[in-house]
Amino acid sequence: MIDNTKDSRFSVKQLIVIYTIISLMSLLAVWELVARFTKASMFLPPASQVLVAFCRSFVEPIGKRTMLAHIGVSLYRVGVAFFFATIAGIALGVGMGYSRLAEAILKPIFEFIRPIPPLAWIPLSILWFGLGDTGKFFIIFLGCFCFITVNTYDGAKNVDPELIGAARMLGANERQVFFEIVLPSSVPYIFAGLQIAVTAGWSAVVGAEMIQSNEGVGWMIVRGMNTGNTVQIMVGIVAIGIVGFILANLTSALERRLCAWNEQKGM
Amino acid sequence: MEEKKMPKVQVRGLTKRFGDLLVLNNISFDVEAGEFLCIVGPTGCGKTTFLNSLTKLYKPTEGEILLDGEPVDLKKHNIAYIFQEYSTMPWLTVEENVGFGLDIKGVEKGKAKALVDEYLEIVGLAKYRKYYPNQLSASMLQRVVIARAFATQPDLLLMDEPYGQLDIQLRYHLEDELISLWQRTGTTVLFITHNIEEAVYMGQRILVLTNKPTSIKQTIDNNLPRPRDIASPDFVKLRNEVTDLIKWW
Repeated sequence: MIDNTKDSRFSVKQLIVIYTIISLMSLLAVWELVARFTKASMFLPPASQVLVAFCRSFVEPIGKRTMLAHIGVSLYRVGVAFFFATIAGIALGVGMGYSRLAEAILKPIFEFIRPIPPLAWIPLSILWFGLGDTGKFFIIFLGCFCFITVNTYDGAKNVDPELIGAARMLGANERQVFFEIVLPSSVPYIFAGLQIAVTAGWSAVVGAEMIQSNEGVGWMIVRGMNTGNTVQIMVGIVAIGIVGFILANLTSALERRLCAWNEQKGM
Repeated sequence: MEEKKMPKVQVRGLTKRFGDLLVLNNISFDVEAGEFLCIVGPTGCGKTTFLNSLTKLYKPTEGEILLDGEPVDLKKHNIAYIFQEYSTMPWLTVEENVGFGLDIKGVEKGKAKALVDEYLEIVGLAKYRKYYPNQLSASMLQRVVIARAFATQPDLLLMDEPYGQLDIQLRYHLEDELISLWQRTGTTVLFITHNIEEAVYMGQRILVLTNKPTSIKQTIDNNLPRPRDIASPDFVKLRNEVTDLIKWW
């Protein structure tokens, strides 16, 4: 029998950290055991080996670069694409949400493009943009853009009509209604979109780097596949997972700062 | 009302038909500058249509509404509205909300800030200026809306059952606050309600409307001294008088 009251030396926050650590350690332990003592070892390098290789990759280059440089290159590609996706997504989303005309013209096209996976565009992007970074930007852009647009559109559609009425009665013109009411009240939705999009964009980087490339975390995996180096594949996967986790947390921290007014209200 | 000047608002033969349905039937009245006028009527008597005609949301079928002797023009005249809903902008702090109308109207920053400070002080929200609406109670939100309306220094303040959804204690409190705010600023107020007691408590004059098609049944001057006591014989007598006028049964 565990007496819960005696556990008060740990706060809830500390407990959450402890459980997270236990969960991760268990995953690694199971992975290690499966890789060492079952037939899966042929295709799955043990956790310890991957972790050692992962740590070494920060000092010993894989291909031409060390891990941080690879991550940097991939982040740069995602960053550029994400930047343009944000601008285009917010503009399109707010436009479609606010103007019926824009909605009628653009929504069918958007809905047609939306379900096409970014990877399906790879062959065309090579034709259109060649093998350089532009094609990679394009693929990652497609990976983020739709999420931002859909969420922004939702936000602009869901503006409280009371607030628009209140603004109009205070003398607001169309432009003021748009910039003072529609846009700010969409911000929480936009952020929800950005959060999904940054993760989606980061996932799309692997696909983008399958196109002729010699650096980046996606390349690391493709390269590992071509040379049958499972450890390198796993190292790339671990790197993508960790960076994705950090990115998701950074965006939600940013959201909490910028959307403090929306707290406890949910969406 | 010491000086005999042009009335602030002149409503002349206001008539509104929706197709064959006559809703407002030839309504005429004046509102003096700085007056607190209450309008009461039976439920469904067309108060909202009346208000919407006043705010130009509907075009009247016949008749006109003059403000300072000119036809109402929302671009030129400054009319403020307060409704039941606490239409504060959730992403703006209390002070930003109070300044919202001034911002929209392009009032110069320094002047706007002074006005915001003044009205935050008056409604007792100066301490909460940096708070967001979701951190405030219902009565505080209503005060934000009131401060926002008064801060624009409106020519005319229209209130449509602003306290309809509040509990009684809170209503009394906000009513008193509104009265003192009105006394301080001299704003012209048109207060629409179905609550007879509220109308007798607040107004200098009470306009009693009839059932549809709506016209003015009677205008009652209300000279009861302030602060008014809702239990005093004079108050009760006036309240009963208004109640009898409204009875349609």
